[in-house]
Amino acid sequence: MQSITLGHYLPGDSFLHNLDPRIKLLCLLVLIVTLFLVRTFWGFMFFGVFIILIFSASKLPWRYFLRGLRPVFFIIFFTLILHFLFTDGGRVYLRLGPLTVEEAGVFMGTFMTLRLVLLVITTLLITLTTSPISFADGIEYILRPFRRLGIPGHEIAMMMTIALRFIPTLMEESDKIRKAQMARGADFETGNIFRRARNLVPLLVPLFVSAFRRADELAIAMEARCYRGGENRTKMRELHTRPRDYLGLSVSLGMMLAILFSGV
Amino acid sequence: MLEVKNLSHVYMPGTPFQVEALKEISLKIEKGEFVGIIGETGSGKSTLVQHLNGLLRPTSGDVLLDGCSIWSGKVNMRAIRSRVALLFQYPEHQLFEETVYKDVAFGPRNLGLDEKELQKRVRYGLEQMELDYESYKDRSPFSLSGGEKRRVAMAGILAMKPEVIILDEPTAGLDPAGRRQLLALIEKLHSEEKLTVIMVTHNMDEVSRLANRLFVFSAGRLVLQGEPAVVFNSPQKIKEIGLELPVLSELLLKLKDSGKNIRTDLFTVEEVGKEILEYFRGGRSCKV
Ligand SMILES: Nc1ncnc2c1ncn2[C@@H]1O[C@H](COP(=O)(O)OP(=O)(O)O)[C@@H](O)[C@H]1O
Ligand SMILES: [Mg+2]
Repeated sequence: MQSITLGHYLPGDSFLHNLDPRIKLLCLLVLIVTLFLVRTFWGFMFFGVFIILIFSASKLPWRYFLRGLRPVFFIIFFTLILHFLFTDGGRVYLRLGPLTVEEAGVFMGTFMTLRLVLLVITTLLITLTTSPISFADGIEYILRPFRRLGIPGHEIAMMMTIALRFIPTLMEESDKIRKAQMARGADFETGNIFRRARNLVPLLVPLFVSAFRRADELAIAMEARCYRGGENRTKMRELHTRPRDYLGLSVSLGMMLAILFSGV
Repeated sequence: MLEVKNLSHVYMPGTPFQVEALKEISLKIEKGEFVGIIGETGSGKSTLVQHLNGLLRPTSGDVLLDGCSIWSGKVNMRAIRSRVALLFQYPEHQLFEETVYKDVAFGPRNLGLDEKELQKRVRYGLEQMELDYESYKDRSPFSLSGGEKRRVAMAGILAMKPEVIILDEPTAGLDPAGRRQLLALIEKLHSEEKLTVIMVTHNMDEVSRLANRLFVFSAGRLVLQGEPAVVFNSPQKIKEIGLELPVLSELLLKLKDSGKNIRTDLFTVEEVGKEILEYFRGGRSCKV
């Protein structure tokens, strides 16, 4: 359970940490689009170097960062294997019974994997340097123009904030309950999959009970403070863009244009 | 029978969230003792007790049960957990079965006992907690009151017939009546069932009266240990690490400070009352 660091915010003081969250989200969007514009391996290399530069500006500990990648390792590996085996075309490198590894498959597999890895790294760079609260603030702001289309920006942001707020709490809770049941001789580690699933009951029931209790308490606490959604709600922390935010955005846009027009 | 040797524990090592929760702890607990573990919130008490039945693995150091390391690989963890039972804080949150019977039977069932023995165990656990077997066994644990839930949770570990019970803040959040009742039951487990009791608590009055030995923790270190009379004899130190004296000790120390020659190593209302009465009666008879 301690390995789940995917997107776990790391407080700090760096160029990346101090960017306005709205701008940061825009940058993320621009960079993701950029990644899909890349057409050659040179493009990925260029992008990779760019990301390494940003990473060093973020002052994140690289060990911790790499651990954050672990949960998606499986998906990446899977993509690679699927492409190797099932994308056909070009020379045949290897035959495994009915399955073949062909040139196009190797090319596509590597290409897609690189794209995926860079996508995750870029996203991780942003989520690791943005506190959940400012993240939600940013989302709320960006969704504001869509209010007229009936998209409740504030409510979405609030739900995100609450969900993010409770993930660590619930993890802590599940750890505690797991240990409490282990103290009564429960076993969560051995047996086949059905047995294991059944053994989870002593963990899941108390966890749900406690989640509902917490939700209830939270709702009452919010109501007691007259919470009533987004209309006319003021903010404790107003967001202000500063020159460095424009710098960040320009750099991301520049990256996109460079990749688009150089054709790499 | 339980021994902790040079134990240190680090949570989430190698991440920026690393916490050194325990530093070089060594202590020994003998069979039949009633020991109290006190210390500020975050001082490492819960971390320590989770080592005693192998729920946490020491980062360094060792835990010995009857002289054998519980991490040597030769011992069955389940057997250790049935001998050294641990009840977490707010244990009512661990209840999950449809009926009280099934919930109490969960622990012993995991030990592989047959249905007949199970029933005996459940009856034993519930009776130790003064819950009537016939009237409680078919009720849903979720329909009980807070105090009852907690006693059912406690029955659940007693049904495993442990030799040692570790209680992490057993009375937190109970009303005075519930607290008094639970403490009386714990006391009975110690004196009549001959269980070794390890109790983590914030309540100095309870622990000074019940425990024969105290371990005082501060910031992950064991800073004081000994009989309550010894530990609370250093009021300066106790207050320094953010704890309180038992009310009765405070009273006796105040009296002593104002020049009265009075004993300060008493912890029950009866003893203290007698001491004060004796002192003042004695004093008056001297003057007359
Ligand atoms: N599961 C955990 N993960 C990370 N840190 C923890 C965990 N449990 C406790 N800690 C930390 O270890 C220290 C000691 O905690 P704990 O043993 O619970 O103290 P106490 O029971 O005396 O209040 C605290 O600083 C706490 O934040
Ligand atoms: Mg604790």
